[in-house]
Amino acid sequence: MFFDVLLIGIMVGAIYTLVTIGYSMVYSILKLMNFAHGDVYIFGTFICYTLLEKYQLNPVLAILVSAVLGGILASFVEIVAYRRLRAGQHRMISMITALGAAYVIQNSNELKWGNQVMAFPSILSAKTFQVFGLTIPMTQIIILAIAVGLIILFTLFLKYHPYGKAILCVSEDIPTASLMGIPINKTITMVYFIGGMLGVAGGILYSTSYNAVSLAMGFRGTIIAFTAAVIGGIGSLGGALVGGMLLGICENFIGVYVSSSYRDPITFLLLIVILLVKPTGIMGAAEQTKV
Amino acid sequence: MKPGTQKHGKQQTGTIIPMTFKTLAKNPVFKTAAFLLPALGCVLLPHVMTDTYYLGIINYMILYAILCMGLNLILGYAGLLSLGHAAFYGLGGYTTAILITRCGFGFLSCLILSGIIALLFGILLGLPTRKVRGDYFCLLTIAFGEIFRLVAQAWIGFTNGAMGIVGIPIPAILGWSIRTEADFYYLGLILLAFTSITLSLLVNSKFGRAFIAIREDELAASVMGINTAVYKIIVFGIGCFYAGLAGSYLAVYQTTVTPSNFRLEESCLMIIMVIVGGMGSLFAPIAGVIIMTLATEYFRGISEYRMLIIGVIMVAVLLFRPQGIFGTSAFKG
Repeated sequence: MFFDVLLIGIMVGAIYTLVTIGYSMVYSILKLMNFAHGDVYIFGTFICYTLLEKYQLNPVLAILVSAVLGGILASFVEIVAYRRLRAGQHRMISMITALGAAYVIQNSNELKWGNQVMAFPSILSAKTFQVFGLTIPMTQIIILAIAVGLIILFTLFLKYHPYGKAILCVSEDIPTASLMGIPINKTITMVYFIGGMLGVAGGILYSTSYNAVSLAMGFRGTIIAFTAAVIGGIGSLGGALVGGMLLGICENFIGVYVSSSYRDPITFLLLIVILLVKPTGIMGAAEQTKV
Repeated sequence: MKPGTQKHGKQQTGTIIPMTFKTLAKNPVFKTAAFLLPALGCVLLPHVMTDTYYLGIINYMILYAILCMGLNLILGYAGLLSLGHAAFYGLGGYTTAILITRCGFGFLSCLILSGIIALLFGILLGLPTRKVRGDYFCLLTIAFGEIFRLVAQAWIGFTNGAMGIVGIPIPAILGWSIRTEADFYYLGLILLAFTSITLSLLVNSKFGRAFIAIREDELAASVMGINTAVYKIIVFGIGCFYAGLAGSYLAVYQTTVTPSNFRLEESCLMIIMVIVGGMGSLFAPIAGVIIMTLATEYFRGISEYRMLIIGVIMVAVLLFRPQGIFGTSAFKG
């Protein structure tokens, strides 16, 4: 029992990490809470659902198409709702437009797919195997492998690819990066694109593991990404990993051993406690106030 | 001679002052009339407008006006982005609902207690502003709002879960039993008048000037010897107090409270009302309330597009006029 819960927790944690990365990256560059993140990922997941259910598309192709569409939507939101506000306006303003954008996407999703919970087609084999007397479903291992693979791929991209390096530069200091000849607007749009794609990948994996997709998961995803990012330390990749894992594991233990209807309240309580004790998160560096 | 006294002397010589709007606004007769006539209009309104449907819309406007004026204190005067205002509204609503239906309290004591409980929770949530700032505080308020709603939904023994508390009896204040839409209109009007008067007294006091100074420049204000942390906490608490009053009004007005009355959407709607009207100006949010309520009513036929329309208005207003329609200042700092 204990190890089953732990394994599911790790799997959910890896998925949360994927969703958190995109959000945390945007925050580290623009200091903007992207409220639309969760709604973008659920949009991609819905697209994938439609492609699989209605058009019987090849799962790999369906996931790719929906991830790209999710990325395009995320960058579109950036160009329309955030870009104009970047210079000159207070950050709070773009946070509120982000909220507005989230509502627009959420409502559009609701108009197209409704707010019912729908069965997500299972795209992975339902086999199980035995290790040390534990029954482990194949699905969980595959999902875990995909999630971890994507995280590693993204880390390598940031470290070695010129575009990845450009993202790191911009997150360090925008004016300097711009002086070095890095196209700021393009880089930021790319950050949103990649963040959206990773989010959609996370959303699809989550829906696959629970065999369900619903509108409410979008907003919950936003909150989860916030919470995980803050717990781990916002803006760092390691922080997203620590926060996502911790949240995934804690949530599953609370759900199983305490009560499933108090799972979310306790998660939020955890967030409040972390904010009060160490607002910069477990892995975050202390922020200094400029005088 | 100083410029000021020179000007004063010129007026004394009796040159004819042209009747512009500015001089008119200084005329005491006009000032009294400008205050009394709308006030009279408000009092007589239910006798002119007997249609309960329209009166109902106006009652909701009053409810949101109270909420938004409180939120404006937090958002526009203290500069704190709170996305948990619906939770304080809900605290007021549930306090009244539970005290009236289970403990048999009178409405007036429920109203006061609702406000006080919201105030206490507001101060409690405001305490972290000393340490947690900006976006993290916003996150804190979201978390608080969601905890409130989820607990109200899960704690079936106390709050009756998602079904909510139903059958709140007709309230009475000092023998005046409030039954009809018109009665509720007057109750709302009294609450709104109370809110307006107390808030304008507060904002124009020494206390008010201090927190306006904090909004303009927190560092400079703290150097001037203003205890910024304490002021922010108190302002946050006071803003929440009005939300508690509004919640109490909601409970008796619609005779039920359910967790879905107090969702995050509701907090967002209040924020957008404040922003459309204009932050940082005492009465500007009321314009936002009127515009947004009328828009919601107008689009009722296509209510499934409601959040889409609200979202578009939110983005459009902030992109093109971030200070709102009547506002004086956008976010600073």
